[in-house]
Amino acid sequence: MATPTIHQPSATTATPYAGDHEVVIRTENLWKIYQMGSEQVAALRGVNLQIYRNEYVAIMGPSGSGKSTLMNLIGCLDSPTRGEYWLSGHLVSALDDDELARIRNQEIGFVFQTFNLLPRTSALHNVELPLIYSGAPPAERTERAMAALQQVDLADRVHHKPNELSGGQRQRVAIARALVNRPSIILADEPTGNLDSTTSNEIMALLEVLWERGNTIVLVTHEHDIAEHAHRVIHIRDGQVAGDTRTRRGDAVANRPPAPPA
Amino acid sequence: MGIREAIIVALGTLRAHKLRSFLTLLGVIISVCTLVAVVAMVQGVNTYVGSKIARLGSNIFSVSQFSLNEMTNPVRFMRAKETNPIIRYPDYQFLRANARLPRAIGAQTQRTGTVKHNGRALDEVNISGVTPNVLGMLAFQVANGRFLAPTDEQRRAYVAFVGPDIVTHLFGGANPLGRHILVSGQQYEIIGVATAQGDVFGQSQDNFVMIPLRTYQKIYGNQDSITLDVQARGARLLPATMDEMEMLMRVRRHLSWNEKNNFGIIGSDALMTLWHTLTGAIASVMVGVSFVFLVVGGIVIMNIMLAAVTERTQEVGTRKAVGARRSDILWQFLVESAVLSTVGGLIGVLLAYLFTLAAGALTPIPFSLPLGAVVLAVVISTLVGLFFGVYPASKAARLTPIAALHSEV
Ligand SMILES: Nc1ncnc2c1ncn2[C@@H]1O[C@H](COP(=O)(O)OP(=O)(O)OP(=O)(O)O)[C@@H](O)[C@H]1O
Ligand SMILES: [Mg+2]
Repeated sequence: MATPTIHQPSATTATPYAGDHEVVIRTENLWKIYQMGSEQVAALRGVNLQIYRNEYVAIMGPSGSGKSTLMNLIGCLDSPTRGEYWLSGHLVSALDDDELARIRNQEIGFVFQTFNLLPRTSALHNVELPLIYSGAPPAERTERAMAALQQVDLADRVHHKPNELSGGQRQRVAIARALVNRPSIILADEPTGNLDSTTSNEIMALLEVLWERGNTIVLVTHEHDIAEHAHRVIHIRDGQVAGDTRTRRGDAVANRPPAPPA
Repeated sequence: MGIREAIIVALGTLRAHKLRSFLTLLGVIISVCTLVAVVAMVQGVNTYVGSKIARLGSNIFSVSQFSLNEMTNPVRFMRAKETNPIIRYPDYQFLRANARLPRAIGAQTQRTGTVKHNGRALDEVNISGVTPNVLGMLAFQVANGRFLAPTDEQRRAYVAFVGPDIVTHLFGGANPLGRHILVSGQQYEIIGVATAQGDVFGQSQDNFVMIPLRTYQKIYGNQDSITLDVQARGARLLPATMDEMEMLMRVRRHLSWNEKNNFGIIGSDALMTLWHTLTGAIASVMVGVSFVFLVVGGIVIMNIMLAAVTERTQEVGTRKAVGARRSDILWQFLVESAVLSTVGGLIGVLLAYLFTLAAGALTPIPFSLPLGAVVLAVVISTLVGLFFGVYPASKAARLTPIAALHSEV
């Protein structure tokens, strides 16, 4: 069966959100029910969402409302109990294990709140990891991983192990890893949750650059000033979408004239 | 993920948990070490004994009171003691007079005794009475002086040809030719000294005194059975020569067609065969033991790998989250347990090598690492790792990325 192809962001397709209405992420009545012994916990209760290409979306909501659960489903890390998830026009539940692995490898870059780097492994090797699984030859791998680390301003820390890096540096390594395979979608679950405000701003600046380059960005956060970087905020409460608003920046971007082709 | 990456990842993990890895591998290390060391030992000893037996001289066999079969089985030996008469000098003369095929027939008989010189004494010396023609048939050469001559035999002279141990212990290494030793109250003049042969299993081969057979019988009587050493005229004639000796002995003993031999005919190939059966039995027991170790080692590896999978659920989740397929994870853990086990095998080979070095230095046996056994042991240890790695690896491969990421350890 055909594997879904998601447009690689490029200078020519990198037009602002208002001008582009291709749906990248669409969920229909998405449910996720966790079985806790005899008890059932419904983390998501029928989520309907549409996210367009090159959108910059923040997901907000109280703790335990189901944000991470939703992100994991969007990132193809988990499968829903009920409902449908369409990624770039492909029904994800119909994909087999290897195809899901390929999507996680090529189409989606996931940034975890807890970084999830391999301990005892250098920053460089951590960033190389997705390239190993995409089968890039070693020389190209190192070169691209170095470039990604350069992009997050960590060129001088490539041989450091995670425990030799600060929290902000670790998160930047995680971002480098998420973008090294040039995925079109970046998913970040509270990427600044463990960081101070200065470091948070650095991370947000990085995401801004990625958006500028045409990536679709979905971000979970608790903080309003972080959410203000996005163009649209989806509120989740008790596993359901409780609100969907455009931010001030979103308004500005929407009213901006289309960028001239580079 | 290619095999190179998988191996690099595996070696990295091993390095990160050195002590644990070593303990895990103990079973494999011990089993491979025993396997290789036993094969090396058996091979070394076989070569050694083979060379010793070969030094008996080519195309030589002996006719003796008991067969090998009787000598190696206590029950049969007790029975043979009743039925087999001792071989006496007239038997020797009969065979010499009637045999047509042999190049030479020598005779020897022996006992142990004390040899004295000038107040010094050496116990447990092999005292043999031999015919002069055993020179060239038995495993010794003349280093000094001369060997016993036919005239010594005819005159029943009190002359002795001695092993180097006699010279070192009784003469302090000085030239003993023309000097005298005292054996069982009789003085003998030393006429020659043999070259040194060293030890076989800690038993000195140089601790002997040879006197003419007739002299021996004059002193000790003729109740000690004689062993005849027969040399055929060539390898091709060896079987026929053995047949002739057997036939002549049966005639001499008046055995009818349905009676068994009441003497033994022992060729060097029979000795070798006996030896191989002996060492083969020891080796197969040890190889069996080492395989038990290997299975135990494999099970330990499986357990450790299962623990590693649980402990590294997060790592597996992270790898899956960035695009590792099931097969990648399966492969990673399989290679890891195979590499682990192979490293154990290599350590085992190294230990076996050190063992053979030590054994080679402490004994005269020429130990060497048999390449075939080394390759086999390493291959087997790799296979053990693969086999016992399948279950843990498939367990790791089946983890979902999210279950893996949730397990915060
Ligand atoms: N693996 C799981 N097993 C059982 N229940 C779970 C599991 N993961 C999440 N839940 C439950 O699902 C609900 C939603 O959890 P989720 O992690 O999505 O919340 P969240 O919005 O990300 O919260 P936070 O802001 O604290 O990260 C919670 O009630 C949680 O207890
Ligand atoms: Mg969460």
